[in-house]
Amino acid sequence: MARSRTTFTRDSGLQARMLFTLFLLGLLYAAFVAILFAAGAGVGIMVLVIAALSLAQLFLSDKLALAAMGAKEVSPEQAPGLHAMLERLCIQADLPKPKIAVADTPMPNAFAMGRSQKSAVVCATTGIMNALQPHELEAVMAHELTHVKNRDVMIMTLASFFATIAAMITQFGFFFGGWGGDSDDGAPAFIVVLLASFLVYIISFFLMLALSRYREYAADRGSALITGRPSALASALVRISGEMQRVPDQDLRAAGKMNAFFIVPTSVKESVATLFMDHPPLEKRLAALQKLEAQLQAPAPAAA
Amino acid sequence: MGFLDALLGGRGKLKAPAPDRLFAMSTAYVTIETGLGLKHKPVAGIVFQPLATADFKQILSDTEELLRGSAADTGTKVESADDQYGYRWIILRDDEFEDLVVSVNVISTQLEAGGYGDRILCAVFAFEDEGRPVYFIYNYKRGAFYPFVPAPGEKQRNNEREFQLKAAIGGELPFEQEIERWFPLWEIPL
Repeated sequence: MARSRTTFTRDSGLQARMLFTLFLLGLLYAAFVAILFAAGAGVGIMVLVIAALSLAQLFLSDKLALAAMGAKEVSPEQAPGLHAMLERLCIQADLPKPKIAVADTPMPNAFAMGRSQKSAVVCATTGIMNALQPHELEAVMAHELTHVKNRDVMIMTLASFFATIAAMITQFGFFFGGWGGDSDDGAPAFIVVLLASFLVYIISFFLMLALSRYREYAADRGSALITGRPSALASALVRISGEMQRVPDQDLRAAGKMNAFFIVPTSVKESVATLFMDHPPLEKRLAALQKLEAQLQAPAPAAA
Repeated sequence: MGFLDALLGGRGKLKAPAPDRLFAMSTAYVTIETGLGLKHKPVAGIVFQPLATADFKQILSDTEELLRGSAADTGTKVESADDQYGYRWIILRDDEFEDLVVSVNVISTQLEAGGYGDRILCAVFAFEDEGRPVYFIYNYKRGAFYPFVPAPGEKQRNNEREFQLKAAIGGELPFEQEIERWFPLWEIPL
């Protein structure tokens, strides 16, 4: 039997942080649900409505995202190189081949969409295909494939389910005024729910961003794992972030709503605190990739 | 990969190669030739990602050394080439089909022993079907074969012929059952 050496060690720290974030979100949501149901009837129906909306979002998000970007699915004849590249990456990652789309915009970016591995769409802009060397583009595509493999769209949608409810209650809370059942204790229950929603909204907002950042690190690791070239992704990230700042404003604005699944957020502003970012800062991603490259280059451990 | 793995952002490794079913080819090729009227070409290849590390290069040069050593007995010729996608092909030439299978296995075994089994993409065996190329591709991660028949024209494949081949030989070779994993390999240098 061949010994199974892994090229990269498992990042248990990252997994622990991710698990902790998920745990906090779960705790928060459990408390929130308890308060909602304590507040009385009517809420149950709303939860159902929002569940339906989330489900619709889950099923439509890929089409919406592609439409928002003006991206079109491309056939192997239209983009033979991109298809061949992804086919090989899929063999390596042991994934079924996703649909491949191209958005005709100079902004260098790429994203992955779709609720499951079978319905996934991976999209690249013409900007990123022109800006990057083949091995850099391959690393970026492997990053997006890892999002598919890790089912990030599904997980972020599930994770944001109660945050969406809380946000809606906070925003439209006043219109739901009379839901509390009896007119006697209706008013205080309503205020409790409004306050709770507001708190849940604020806290879950930051937890979701943290979770999103951890998913990005995981996708970077996945890319390194699939391609065996952590430094190719690093050089792609550096190149993209350099290009990003030179791109006209209107493209950035047009793509603003898609930030969550972009490889580099469209507004890279140093001044924005990390806490508010859905992608980790470039330096930290580069540092993590450099660590992976060091692991790769280190002499193999003695045969076990 | 389970849901928990997905939840935690994936394990720290790629899927390891499936149990080796490569040797099924060393008997199945007879059926392919007699039953289907294909003729094997005296060439086979194995494709993998060459890692830019000293360790990996050492394993690779040791492997080539090993193959050249055994070439005295088998007469297998060894070449290597990098394709436009950055993958390394080791191309083996030998009139004896069984020797090709053995040599491909030597390479994969060496890479796996070095801990790099997850870098292997596939092995490719070449056949001729009335002058047109037919390939059988062995996906190491899946431990399964599938046919790839390029058709005339830019990046076209003859799915009909591929399905015929599966129907005819599927009982004898461990076959990839999910056809969406019958990934093409364009510009095969065999």
